[in-house]
Amino acid sequence: MSRLEWQAVVAGVGGQGVLFVSRALSTAVEPKAGSILISEVHGMAQRGGAVVSHLKAGPFSGPLVSPGQADLLLALDPGEAVRNLSYLVEGGWLVVNAPDLDFLSPKARKALASFGARVLTVPAVQLAGQAGARKGANVVLLGAAAAGGALPVSMAELEAAICDGQPRARAEANRKLLALGAEAAAQV
Amino acid sequence: MGSKNKVRKEILMGNQALGRGLVENGVAVMTAYPGTPSSEILPSVVQYGAEMQSQPYCEWSVNEKVAVEVALSAAYTGQRSAVAMKMVGLNVALDPVMSSAYIGVIGGMILISADDPGPHSSQTEQDSRLLAHFAKLPVLDPDSPAMARDLVGPAFALSERFQIPVMIRPTLRVCHGRQNLNLRTPKELERVPGFPRDPFRWAAIPKMRLALHHALNAKLAKIQDYLSKSKSLNQWHAPLRPRAPLGILASGVSAALARDLLAEMGLPVGEGKVPFLQTAAPYPLPIGPVSELIAGCRNVLVLEETEPVLELLAPNRDKLWGRGSGHVPSAGELTPEVLGGVLERALGEAKLKAARPKGKVLSVPDQPPMRRPNLCPGCSHRAVFYSLRRALPTGVYPSDIGCYTLGMNQGAVDTCHDMGAAVTFASALSRGLNQADKDTPVVATIGDSTFFHSGITGLVNAVYNGHRFVLVILDNETTSMTGMQPTPESGLTADGHPGNAVDIKKLVEGCGVRWITELDPYQMGDLQKTLKKAWRWCKGPEGSVAVIIARHACAAQRPRDAVASPCKVEVKGQAAPVKTSFRPQDNPCADCGRCVAVCPAGALTRTGKGKIKVDEAKCTGCRLCAEVCPTGTMVLEPAGACVACGLCSTWFACPALAKDAEGYISIDRGWCVDCGLCAEVCAHGAIAPLEESK
Ligand code: SF4
Ligand code: SF4
Repeated sequence: MSRLEWQAVVAGVGGQGVLFVSRALSTAVEPKAGSILISEVHGMAQRGGAVVSHLKAGPFSGPLVSPGQADLLLALDPGEAVRNLSYLVEGGWLVVNAPDLDFLSPKARKALASFGARVLTVPAVQLAGQAGARKGANVVLLGAAAAGGALPVSMAELEAAICDGQPRARAEANRKLLALGAEAAAQV
Repeated sequence: MGSKNKVRKEILMGNQALGRGLVENGVAVMTAYPGTPSSEILPSVVQYGAEMQSQPYCEWSVNEKVAVEVALSAAYTGQRSAVAMKMVGLNVALDPVMSSAYIGVIGGMILISADDPGPHSSQTEQDSRLLAHFAKLPVLDPDSPAMARDLVGPAFALSERFQIPVMIRPTLRVCHGRQNLNLRTPKELERVPGFPRDPFRWAAIPKMRLALHHALNAKLAKIQDYLSKSKSLNQWHAPLRPRAPLGILASGVSAALARDLLAEMGLPVGEGKVPFLQTAAPYPLPIGPVSELIAGCRNVLVLEETEPVLELLAPNRDKLWGRGSGHVPSAGELTPEVLGGVLERALGEAKLKAARPKGKVLSVPDQPPMRRPNLCPGCSHRAVFYSLRRALPTGVYPSDIGCYTLGMNQGAVDTCHDMGAAVTFASALSRGLNQADKDTPVVATIGDSTFFHSGITGLVNAVYNGHRFVLVILDNETTSMTGMQPTPESGLTADGHPGNAVDIKKLVEGCGVRWITELDPYQMGDLQKTLKKAWRWCKGPEGSVAVIIARHACAAQRPRDAVASPCKVEVKGQAAPVKTSFRPQDNPCADCGRCVAVCPAGALTRTGKGKIKVDEAKCTGCRLCAEVCPTGTMVLEPAGACVACGLCSTWFACPALAKDAEGYISIDRGWCVDCGLCAEVCAHGAIAPLEESK
């Protein structure tokens, strides 16, 4: 069986849980890829600045994704989505925490469409807020990405990566948030 | 099969991998001072050391010089030791590091200095490998978390074989990269520490140092030979081929990225079109394989971060393409974006064609503005910076390295140079500025950890020499910027056990300071009065250094429900902006100029003696001028509703205060921690505790 080769960029703002998302993704894809490399930005960025994490699964040696190579851009913040769009590979996935693509200028939207990008917009903050866990927007978005087919792993594999070994209450809450995301993806 | 034999696989951060490597190789003493990107190494040794029968001794030293000296002397006793810091910390430690190669060690010693190309959270982009060369210490350069862990064993072996400390120099992408690796069982060395008294070695006087220098040079020649022969430290990713137009010599993360980039360009290193040598030992340079590569290729592209170390040490430099030839930029991180361009140019000049072009890249118009990092909501430093500008608006504010550098957003940080420089800069700034008979308050700010690190010496100097300034020690009871490491004042050791707490106030008293106040900066009114009082005393006949210890626990550390004065705030309605008016007809203007100095909007200009012009278009009605005006010539009516003055959002700068297009304020509940500080800031009474407004 050939090993998985997959690259992703996760972007957001300090406090949104970017690092949690990239670690959850890496735990989920690790069995299929065999080798995992992640690069995180720490330090000043933790104080409300931009946070970005590059994830390379498969036979890679460098920790950073090259522009035009990411199979997935998962953005917890629309502004940070714009900043990192150039990492997307042709026909790659953009999964973004936003009700629609209005955050992109008409020019940028056209460019994205002509790039063949597949797009999933999810109002993750609202959904998580309705579930009483605003901070869980990142997990909602992950659920949507899995259900929408943007990940190389199934919802069950993702769920295991996030929930296994967690205290019961936390695992339950995360399962709920993942399901919320999946529902939202089904409606798009 | 017992679970003992099962391989434990984990995804580790580079710093954890280094900590794991140290434990797997029997480190007995580990010291460090926290600094991004190195801070997680020591905690990992604490964590993994728990798996060992005899746990390693770990300490957060008060600074890097102390950390190196403790680790060095531990290695004198035959134990394996390690010390970790960020590269600017290496500058602080350079004094003991410089003689460490001369004197050497008995037990293996590893000095980890983490570099920050980019620089993402540092004052410089310096390359520790150059300092290793300067200090005559062998240095190893890992390209990934896995390699960082795997170099620890060879580094200890090298150190013990040649009795010399060995530096490992990871860069940010290694330290904060993550990779899955198989954990090995920790090695228990069971060495009994002993000190072989030998003053002619350990206390060598200058004359002996000359002999030691000769011996060291001979030793380095042997190390170079040893490194040249190492197959594991010099990897041929693609072998030499006859008459190769281009070869690559690389080290560190650049080597790893270049391998991926070549594959993306259709020239995977495995196919061997471009001979590719990666060395993990930039100094002493493994001359054997490096010369072989250079002799066998028409040109060799040298890829490394950040300074040209391989490039300067390699033979036949006229064949090299690198920083000297302009092929590689001389500053900044070698990201795939940058490295991709470098490779493309080199391949083009060598007339090598890529099999397939690199994929298309989407160029996105209309980029959002850069995000500025900001102090956390509820951070007590924000209250200090705000109060500083309110109480002593015409001041000069030297500051220091740490979270509080972000006080720049509030216009209350004028200098930031190196650890401890707030105090020393304040010394000369106050002397210079007040020599000219000007009344410029100088107020320095420094954090508690930084004060212990390097502030004390500057304070002793300031007291001794009679400098006059206010020093505010921002004591949030932790080292927050680097991730909440305990400070000496907390009395907690690196492994969480109680140690002996050191009292900052007593320390300040002991330095000879005669004016000291402790307070909680959340009491902003008190703080502002105290600041004024402190400066009055400083410039008085008996004045010298006045110290205010502003103590409030770090907002990021304390649980959300434990905020000191929980008070939900809300913003009451909006009003049309009120305007300042200058009314010398009611009260005569004292011509003090304070209003002009304090206006954040730059709306006031002095047009003559006792005459101020108000630019209505610029004035936001923030009331600051009215507040500093000693005569009541500047007036402004309170509004009782938000007037979009910007005082809270600009000067106070809490990230929870959301501004609409017109500048009116609302509170973002996702960020607000209900500290209640903004209510004190709003001079118009627009932000008020919820209970009150009901
Ligand atoms: S301080 Fe803030 S809330 Fe108060 S009036 Fe000014 S802008 Fe509005
Ligand atoms: S908005 Fe006000 S109460 Fe909320 S965190 Fe900021 S300063 Fe504190």
